[in-house]
Amino acid sequence: MLLFSMAYGLLALRVPLSFMDQGEFFTPRTMPYALAILGLILSLMILLLPTTDPEGKRTLKEETHGMDWKKAILLVVGMIIYGLVMKWLGFIISSIVFLLCGFYILGERRVKRMLLAAIPLVIFLWFIMSALLGVYIAPGELFYTLGIL
Amino acid sequence: MWDGMLSGMLTGISTTMIPMNIAMVLFGCFMGSLIGMLPGLGPITAVALMIPVTYGLDPSTGMVLLAGVYYGAIFGGSTSSILINAPGEAATVATALDGYPLARQGYPGKALAVAAYASFSGGTISVIMLMVFAPMLASVATSFQSADYFALMILGLTAVSAFAGRGGVLKALLMVVLGLMLATVGTDQTSGVQRFTFGSLELLDGIEFLLLAMATFALTEALSIILKRDESSDSLNPKMIGFKSLKVTKEEFKQIAPTIGRSSLLGFIIGVLPGAGATLGSFMAYGMERNLASPEEQKKFGKGSLRGLAAPEAGNNAASSGSFVPLLCLGIPGSGTTAVMLGALIAYGIEPGPRMLTASPEVFWGLIMSMYLGNIFLLILNLPLIPYFARLLAIPRNFMVPMILFFSLMGVYLITFNDFDILMMVIFCIAAMALRLMNFPMAPLLLGFILGGLMEDNLRRALMIYDESLSFMWERPLTLGINLTTLFILFFPMLRSFLSSRKGGGKPKDEEVVV
Repeated sequence: MLLFSMAYGLLALRVPLSFMDQGEFFTPRTMPYALAILGLILSLMILLLPTTDPEGKRTLKEETHGMDWKKAILLVVGMIIYGLVMKWLGFIISSIVFLLCGFYILGERRVKRMLLAAIPLVIFLWFIMSALLGVYIAPGELFYTLGIL
Repeated sequence: MWDGMLSGMLTGISTTMIPMNIAMVLFGCFMGSLIGMLPGLGPITAVALMIPVTYGLDPSTGMVLLAGVYYGAIFGGSTSSILINAPGEAATVATALDGYPLARQGYPGKALAVAAYASFSGGTISVIMLMVFAPMLASVATSFQSADYFALMILGLTAVSAFAGRGGVLKALLMVVLGLMLATVGTDQTSGVQRFTFGSLELLDGIEFLLLAMATFALTEALSIILKRDESSDSLNPKMIGFKSLKVTKEEFKQIAPTIGRSSLLGFIIGVLPGAGATLGSFMAYGMERNLASPEEQKKFGKGSLRGLAAPEAGNNAASSGSFVPLLCLGIPGSGTTAVMLGALIAYGIEPGPRMLTASPEVFWGLIMSMYLGNIFLLILNLPLIPYFARLLAIPRNFMVPMILFFSLMGVYLITFNDFDILMMVIFCIAAMALRLMNFPMAPLLLGFILGGLMEDNLRRALMIYDESLSFMWERPLTLGINLTTLFILFFPMLRSFLSSRKGGGKPKDEEVVV
């Protein structure tokens, strides 16, 4: 957070000022400057002041001991891929694949149950959006590229 | 005043009694109960998840739905606390203290019924108080100036940080600052200058508040279930699902009635205070009831006492209604959930604050009257359905977690149709996860983010009025009073900690604020 506040403060220096703002007391930079200074002070206080917790300051290693990182990281990667392929595969296919992968990552192996949970849910949501609420959900660009649509 | 209240009530009744709004209250309570029941998911997540559904609805209908979700989520959280000792959020932790032992003794139905009656009574009593006090405060607040609003926002943000609990005041304050920093991203409304957009078109309008709420709450809470190997969702005892008896005897009603009255009053007063919210309401009601109980009764607390169960339930529901007072009257949310609701109000184009009473009376009064209806629905609909709802707790997390992630991502994508938003959500989720692991609370961040723009506007205006002098902070008695309250809230825990360490000659107690 200390580094973030410093970076934020430095970037605040680059906020452009319009001609009108040049002589003003309160400019678009004022609030960011104040926040950067506050962020720096608070970060330093957290780092330097002693804790009143009887167990002392816990390290990140202690806090995260025994956590299931593998599954969480795989799910995060799954979400990133989902965001990247959404435009190409379209809502229905990418959502079904995302859900199936999610179930699989968390240890589910019963294919029939996985399909029964994912497909009706996505189709139902798509139906509500496009048929009932009239929201247009664009099909994936892949379909246009392949000449299917 | 009473005439205005009567006409307001009539406006509220006519708004709420529209079939669409009745259906939305019902739907909100139902969905809130379902989402709130899932371990790890609290009212903030429930409300954030339902906001996309409200886009496209009339503002009053949208708010009515969200209020139903809020109530339902608190009630749902109590159910998971009682049945599997897995509180959905901090506000229902106190419920588990006596609710879970009661359920384990073979009375899950009775425990849930007492919780439902206490919630209903607490909610109803506090809505009556809300109806009386909110218009009074709103009429006083019309005389507020920019300086007062700025001071009030500082007070709200400080109070939320002081009561954040997890991680200490400094960490919560730093999260407020981070929220305010994120609020500066985008085009500055006054000068039209771009700030921190890095030339990205997607960031020109700033960060979508729903995106941040989903990323910091829904996504991270779902991932926390996985990270912490939380097996609670798989641990529902099958014997607790099939219960049928929800009977509470006359004697038991007599025993809990005074408890509910006292706890509701205390809960409402605590809820009105900015930052305190339902968590403090439930714990203080529990503590008060334990102190008032006879030594014999006190021994039962923590082992399945009906009074110990009714007190936090009435207290947290009353505090939830109480937290609407600063939101509706001043436009300043007192808790994380009301902060999300404030974001929704702004998205509907409604300016929250004292003028809302005159500018959008149908939203103001519709919301209040829908709370009555929501309480009634929660009681008559949920009570018989609890045994069936409880089956949701038996859904394995293998299925539950990916679905929560999917709904969160879709909630944002189906509004903006921008895949960049999904990636931005994931980035915020990773950052929020890292901060959570280091015990940084997320609610102050969200509150800072939502109030950021308003704060900057009011500060700018106050400085202009007072000739660029900071004297606006102390010139008006009202502003000075608010600022002194802020200082008191900020320094009281530190002072208490200091005094206690001097008195004890050693380390302060556990419950004192951790710096």
